[in-house]
Amino acid sequence: MIEQIITLGLTGLIFLGAAATALWKNPFDKLIGLSLLSAGVIPLIVMRGYLDVAIVVAILIPISTIFILLLLGRKTS
Amino acid sequence: MSIALYGAARTVLEKETLLKLPFVNVMNFGIAGLIVFILPHPLTLVAAAAYFVGSTLEANAIASAIARRKQE
Repeated sequence: MIEQIITLGLTGLIFLGAAATALWKNPFDKLIGLSLLSAGVIPLIVMRGYLDVAIVVAILIPISTIFILLLLGRKTS
Repeated sequence: MSIALYGAARTVLEKETLLKLPFVNVMNFGIAGLIVFILPHPLTLVAAAAYFVGSTLEANAIASAIARRKQE
């Protein structure tokens, strides 16, 4: 029962992050929407029991975000 | 278990201003607590710690990039 509620909430979080990423105009806001989406995805990986996959994904997502931020800063300067 | 609902409500409330980063931090804290509670296994603590450190680093990187752009 409680797992179904948690799955429903995480699905709502993923859809909210995807819609926000598609609709916001500022690129920094788009990065914030991507962080919302990843925050919805990682507990779904943990619920299936793949903990090592969850650790690797949770370490790799901020590195990719930092790369995108470096590209954004290079384009403005 | 209500940390998930708390984080989701904060995420919905987070849409109204341009200063979204503190609400993103609150949601990340709730998600890290949910990862600890969701599965009784010792490696869950490592996963939650990795997620917490990574998400905090990501939010701080975005905030510092916005501050640097506004400064120029």
